[in-house]
Amino acid sequence: MNIKEILYKTLIAGDSYKTLLKGLGVTVQISLLSVILGTLLGMVICAMRRSRFRVIRTVAAGYIAVIRGSPVLLLLMLMYYVVFAGSKVSATIVAVAAFSIHMSAYTAACFYSAINATDAMQAEAARTLGFSKWQAFILITLPQAAKIAKGTYQSTIVTLIQWTSVVGYVTITDLTRVINNIGSRTMEPLFMILVGLLLYLGMAYICYGAFALAERLAILRKGRRRGA
Amino acid sequence: MSMIRVEKLSKSFGSLQVLKEVDLTVEKGERIVIIGGSGCGKSVFLRCMDLLETPDEGTVFIGDNELTSPKADLNRIRRKVGMVYQGFHLFSNMNVLDNITLAPIKLLGLPRAEAEKKAETLLEMVGLLSKKYMMPDVLSGGQKQRIAIVRCLAMEPDIMLFDEPTSALDPTMVGEVLATLRLLAKRGMTMVIVTHEMAFAREIATRILYFDEQGIYEEGTPQEIFDAPKKKKTRDFIHKMKYFFWQIDDRNFDLMQLQGNIRSFAGKYGMDEKRTNRLQLCTEELIYEMLEQHGQPDAGVDMQIQISFDERDRCAVIGLRSRGVQYNPFEADTEDEIHLGVTILKNTAKRLDYRFDGVNNYLEIEL
Repeated sequence: MNIKEILYKTLIAGDSYKTLLKGLGVTVQISLLSVILGTLLGMVICAMRRSRFRVIRTVAAGYIAVIRGSPVLLLLMLMYYVVFAGSKVSATIVAVAAFSIHMSAYTAACFYSAINATDAMQAEAARTLGFSKWQAFILITLPQAAKIAKGTYQSTIVTLIQWTSVVGYVTITDLTRVINNIGSRTMEPLFMILVGLLLYLGMAYICYGAFALAERLAILRKGRRRGA
Repeated sequence: MSMIRVEKLSKSFGSLQVLKEVDLTVEKGERIVIIGGSGCGKSVFLRCMDLLETPDEGTVFIGDNELTSPKADLNRIRRKVGMVYQGFHLFSNMNVLDNITLAPIKLLGLPRAEAEKKAETLLEMVGLLSKKYMMPDVLSGGQKQRIAIVRCLAMEPDIMLFDEPTSALDPTMVGEVLATLRLLAKRGMTMVIVTHEMAFAREIATRILYFDEQGIYEEGTPQEIFDAPKKKKTRDFIHKMKYFFWQIDDRNFDLMQLQGNIRSFAGKYGMDEKRTNRLQLCTEELIYEMLEQHGQPDAGVDMQIQISFDERDRCAVIGLRSRGVQYNPFEADTEDEIHLGVTILKNTAKRLDYRFDGVNNYLEIEL
């Protein structure tokens, strides 16, 4: 059997590519929502971790420790079979909730250590000029922390995308599940696994590319002003 | 009207009381220099004046505004008070120009072009216009500090606070920062400076505060504090001796290393070339004079050199303790060429002393 036939059998026949795209869509959807919600929640947790009040700090630290220490698959199953058991909430939403929580703990830890790594005295210097605490944070601490956090944050996102491949456990037909299905149906599992790998790899690199692009744009914008 | 008025300010860290009921009024155009040993609370006091440390008790007024009042608009009051740190703390995510223009643009609402023009004028004043597009981390300490000063000046403060502005600098860069401070003094800026640069303090201050025992221990004009301090701790601090110490326990000790260290000790306290040479020469002659008197070449050597230097009357004293038989080189027969060293010592020193306690020979010469 030549490669053309394999391609036809696995990707074209019976509109397989549509199924594949649908699976890819589910994976992208869950990942994207989890990254956005997880990052927002992570910011809140990070803010709590930096709170003036010891109780709030401790709660946030505990949350980060517990979530980071537990396998995301177990968290997902716990949410699906226990927390949302019997409710009408769709499996996808449960998955987004589970991955958002997972993501939030990692981003909170990442942001927290990045902020700690900045020079607090620079923020104080801004305050002596008359900036409010918030302004000093936005203008001085945040840009520096973002630079420090970038690498870890990026890989957290890519890891999350890969971890969503376990949502098949809670009845969701995502990319991995579709790959698996087509592979068994057409008796070409190896080929389909390769296709799957390439697709996940593609998503990872789109993600890295987006960060690189954002950075390039920021430099250009700065350069334009300086050139003036 | 006074620029700053501090009343009954107290501050503790845990059980350690750093400041106790300190009062201070700073008038417009005054240049106050705060001196004192480390841990005497001088930096904390300075930070309290900008409410970077919250006092436990007491009030701080900047002009008419009470900074310590719960209703005080801290951010607005702070615009008028510049703060310069020991560690510069330039914003590392921005270039020099943005460091300076950030606050005027965002807080005073100056148009960018105007803010940049003003920043350039100030940069030119401190001789750093060519660095305006550089990032802070490529600049030297002295350059960073001058830019930190300009960053404050861009807000047109009524008063500037300096927290050991030269303490983190290489000796070669202290001068350029002090020159900037002099420039500000000339323009009539009201300043409060915490520093260890005594000569500079004397030159620039209109009033010196010596901090000790949880507050202002003694204050006065530079002449009063440096030339005629009234209280004991001030005197001890002002006349503080600087020490150099060296142990020799081998006949073949490293003379080059000793000489090198004496040279850097002398350099640190600003002794001139001639004095440094004399110090080195006399130390060397003293050592060899005593080494030769041990007689037996295999006898153990136990010798200590101590050089003290009084920063005020700039008098250096070399002390030498040598274990062994009693021998007073100053009484040696100088007609004899073997004791040429003694002749040299006698001709250079202001004072020669000798003492023997049964075990050790003690020699002391003053230059």
